[in-house]
Amino acid sequence: MSKSTQRIKTIAKKEVVEFVRDWRTIVAIIIIPILMFPVLFIVFPILLESEAAELDNKIVNIEIQSNEFPDYLINSFDENYTQLTIINKTFDESLSLPLDDLDKVRNMEIDAILRLNYSEEIWYYSIIHLSTSESSTEAKARIITSLIAFENNITELRIIDGGLEVDSTLDPLRWDGDTNKADVATEGEQAGLILSLFIPLVLAIWTFSSAIQPSIDMTAGERERGTLEALLGLPCTRNELLLGKWLGVATITGVGVLLQIVGLLFAIGYLASSDFIGVPALSIEAIVLIIVSIMLFAIMVVALELALAMRSHSVKEAGSILGPAIILIIFPALFTQVINLDGIESFWFSIPVINVLLALRELLLDRVIIEHIVIWFTSSVLYASLAAYYAARQFKREDIVTTLS
Amino acid sequence: MTNDNILLKISNVRKRFGEVLALDDVSFEINSGEVVGLVGSNGAGKTTLLRLMSGVYRPTSGSVTLGDQTPVHLMRDNLGVVPESTGLYSRLTAWENIRYHSRLYGIDDSVSWKRTLKFAQSLDMEENLSRYTKGFSRGMRQKTALLRALAHGPKVLLLDEPTAGLDITSARTVRALVEQIKQEGGTVVYSTHQLFEAQQVCDRIIIIHNGNVMANGSPDELINENECNTLEEAYVALTQEKARIRFEDSNNDKGLTKIWNKLFRPKTPSTSSNSEVIESE
Repeated sequence: MSKSTQRIKTIAKKEVVEFVRDWRTIVAIIIIPILMFPVLFIVFPILLESEAAELDNKIVNIEIQSNEFPDYLINSFDENYTQLTIINKTFDESLSLPLDDLDKVRNMEIDAILRLNYSEEIWYYSIIHLSTSESSTEAKARIITSLIAFENNITELRIIDGGLEVDSTLDPLRWDGDTNKADVATEGEQAGLILSLFIPLVLAIWTFSSAIQPSIDMTAGERERGTLEALLGLPCTRNELLLGKWLGVATITGVGVLLQIVGLLFAIGYLASSDFIGVPALSIEAIVLIIVSIMLFAIMVVALELALAMRSHSVKEAGSILGPAIILIIFPALFTQVINLDGIESFWFSIPVINVLLALRELLLDRVIIEHIVIWFTSSVLYASLAAYYAARQFKREDIVTTLS
Repeated sequence: MTNDNILLKISNVRKRFGEVLALDDVSFEINSGEVVGLVGSNGAGKTTLLRLMSGVYRPTSGSVTLGDQTPVHLMRDNLGVVPESTGLYSRLTAWENIRYHSRLYGIDDSVSWKRTLKFAQSLDMEENLSRYTKGFSRGMRQKTALLRALAHGPKVLLLDEPTAGLDITSARTVRALVEQIKQEGGTVVYSTHQLFEAQQVCDRIIIIHNGNVMANGSPDELINENECNTLEEAYVALTQEKARIRFEDSNNDKGLTKIWNKLFRPKTPSTSSNSEVIESE
């Protein structure tokens, strides 16, 4: 191993060791990425379900105001969980105007009021409710369920009265057989499609965001703590310093991104039990190109962040610049998700950030299109080189040794 | 001393930062086995000079060479540097800090460990080598930085205010170590703004004021040349010109930062109006 390689390795190793010795880093780089998606996709729905179950068991007060009270509708409410008050009433004005009932609902004496008016074969209705109250919203939902059942019943009776068969009249168009079997895409291709919807997004955003803290710590942080000056007096060159730090940040970020994707796949697999997502069918070329595209993206992003952080006068300033800069990744990442890959114009593959994200989407679908590969590879190498050149320039600045803060 | 003995040579060095001339035509030589003091007030240019000697800065004009006229930035293996801030990593132990720098110098761990142990005994630091530096006192940090600078066996040791902020005992220990290095034939450049310390430790003193070398000689030579009774009197006589303020100010702000600072920088009343307010009160 050459002296230069040895120095780069020493710098990178020290950066990683120093970084992981802080428990907050372990939380940020390992615990959060692993748990984020499982918590979001598994624990959160469980919490929602338990809240919904609690609401289902709640007894709600519903008042029905009408000039007629059909038995079918009244009986459709579950009497165990609903307290019904029936008031005979006719309406001269619009049913939707709360009028005298406004305070009653606002003060939550009644959760919701169903108003009905039967006139010339039509049931007119409205539900007076308070949308900011969960009880009132639940009462409204139960009323709507009963009304749908009531409406279906009326429709069926009228079809029978007209001498028609109910089932064929209401459902005259039907798919024959298993819908999944009619899809000619293989399971592997379908899995690739699903993965292509979120893997590039997660990869781009998390690569950028998880590199922010180590980039600042290893540049502006070092300067502010006074460790940079001692380092600059050593025989290692500024380029070795940059490469060592880049390797350190890339390692930390790589681990974070990898763990987040593992967490994401676990959450999706758990939710959908392996039917929803399988192993994408990828050729060796596609896998190699995926790795190349991610590496080029990481070179660009980490070099840019190191450069911007080194250029900043203080840790605070670096944070103020790099924090909002994540928008530069989020917007293209979201935009890329809606671009149609079928017949896509080639120029898209030359736009920074978008090029790598589109490449990842295409490759996850196992579409190895030479023209696109040449464009995204060339442009990515160019952008990564520019970012590395910019970073090298910042690291070679003489004034990086002092801070104005 | 003969020319063969010259280890570090500073020739007509100018160093400019934007509009500020930090060092103006500075020339002197450091001989092998010497302890040379750089003495001057804050902002005199001592740290800039040390950074030029350590290769962190490059001269705007002139040269800083080591040994056989080689630019110093190409010979950094021969230097040991202790910056004023010490520059220790708090999440590494003292030994890990030392080993990190030694490895970057290309020194085997066993060699640097032996050298570290040797000097750690003098500094009473053996017990602390395996401790994280996070909780270290200023004195312990300074001693660790010294061990780190010595671990690779440098030809020249550059010390920037090595006793600043230290208690009396720690300062004495540091000075004793410098004496030990001198006895072993080592070369030390010792930046300080304390004359007493320079007189005690250094063979030769270079007085720097406002970026210029005002005097260069042994303490006795400086006293005699200026017809004074003490070194302090000689220093005052040599540095009568008002000391400039440090140039690390935000006057170099550009673009939006300049406009922003102009809008929001607090207005400070002038000294004369302050006096008027005080008098009227």
